[in-house]
Amino acid sequence: MSFDWTAITAALPELLEGLELTILIAIAGLIGGTIVGVLTAIGLNYGNWLVAAPAQAYVAFIRGTPIVVQVMFVYFALPIMLGIRLSSTSAAIITLIVNSGAYTAEIVRGALDSVPVGLREAGLAMGLSFRKVLAYVIAPIAFRRALPAMGNQVVAVVKDTSIFLVIGVGELTRRGQEIMSENFRAVEIWTAVALIYLVVISLLAFSLRVIERRSRLP
Amino acid sequence: MSMIEFRQTTKRFGAHTVLHPLDLGIESGEVAVIIGPSGSGKSTMLRCINVLETISDGDLRVDDISVLGASRDVRRIRLEAGMVFQQFNLFPNLTAIQNVMFGPIRARGRSKAEAREIAAALLQKVGLAERMNHYPSQLSGGQQQRVAIARALAVEPKVMLFDEPTSALDPELRQEVLKVMQTLATEGMTMVVVTHEMSFAKKVGSRLLFLDAGHVVHDGNPVDLLSAPPSERFRDFLQHID
Repeated sequence: MSFDWTAITAALPELLEGLELTILIAIAGLIGGTIVGVLTAIGLNYGNWLVAAPAQAYVAFIRGTPIVVQVMFVYFALPIMLGIRLSSTSAAIITLIVNSGAYTAEIVRGALDSVPVGLREAGLAMGLSFRKVLAYVIAPIAFRRALPAMGNQVVAVVKDTSIFLVIGVGELTRRGQEIMSENFRAVEIWTAVALIYLVVISLLAFSLRVIERRSRLP
Repeated sequence: MSMIEFRQTTKRFGAHTVLHPLDLGIESGEVAVIIGPSGSGKSTMLRCINVLETISDGDLRVDDISVLGASRDVRRIRLEAGMVFQQFNLFPNLTAIQNVMFGPIRARGRSKAEAREIAAALLQKVGLAERMNHYPSQLSGGQQQRVAIARALAVEPKVMLFDEPTSALDPELRQEVLKVMQTLATEGMTMVVVTHEMSFAKKVGSRLLFLDAGHVVHDGNPVDLLSAPPSERFRDFLQHID
């Protein structure tokens, strides 16, 4: 069997449409996940037990269950429990925010922990409130320490969007599967899908490395 | 009313008493030098003043504000008591001048332009005007500590607390830091200095406190105490320092 390039060019418009949704879900998941993750990390590190205990449970629960199960729960179980309707895309975004938030929380917690206590004391000793110390002393340094691990998380989130094919979200992988089931050009379609992911993720990884280099301290 | 007033001040870590009930006043303009063996409670005593440690019993007042007050009072005390640390603790992501501008902007609410003016003058004063755009990692230990002194002064404190400011420095870098501290003392700054530098205590100190196992064992004029050690314990300690 020969490699049929026209199978790819024919499929490309639809695959790129899928990519658009993949990127949309990934961006929403990353932004939401980062906000949730940072807040959770602050609760874990500096909150009293009333805050820290639920945060701990949240992280443990998410890390202890597969993302496929999580999205099934959000898409099928949650609407029944709450009596609401949820589109598959919304369910995907919610799952990704909650999932990425837990992993981000662990990354940020570690980064916050790695900031020397002396710097915190230096900020406090100047008469700053702890909030200001967190914002102006700890955060800038923790941000730099979190970058490499956050890079991995960004890549993981983009790839995790492919899991949402199980609830029928028309993202890149799902589109590939649909096209393939019509024309049976498995080699061409999965090569194309893989390459599209590779290009997107390589671009992301490169920009992350640039940010890392630019924010490096002398 | 003293500038710093210990009233039956006690500090315990768990079952261990680091500072036994202490009554002591440090007056405005004094340069009080605290010495003693490691673990005697010197640093703890200093850190209680600006509430980096909370006292366990008694009271401690700085410019008549109690360390036991609300967090607003604690912040007021810290604005009045600048601190210089053994490990400098400069912000590594900021240049020398940005480090010094930090307090005026964030703690005193000054404009950037005002802060820059204050910071430039202070860096000049500690002899680092031409280094102001260097990052801490590009400065020697002595230079870093001088930036740290400027940073503390920039908040316009009434008292300066020094926690072993030269202990992390190579001997040849200590003098430049001690000289800056001496200048401050001559200008009338109230200072509390934890150190092992006996020559500084003798030359600059107006008062010497010898701490041992959480007690202030001696409290007096540095020259008198050092030339005629009043106790066996103190004599022993001095011998081990040299």
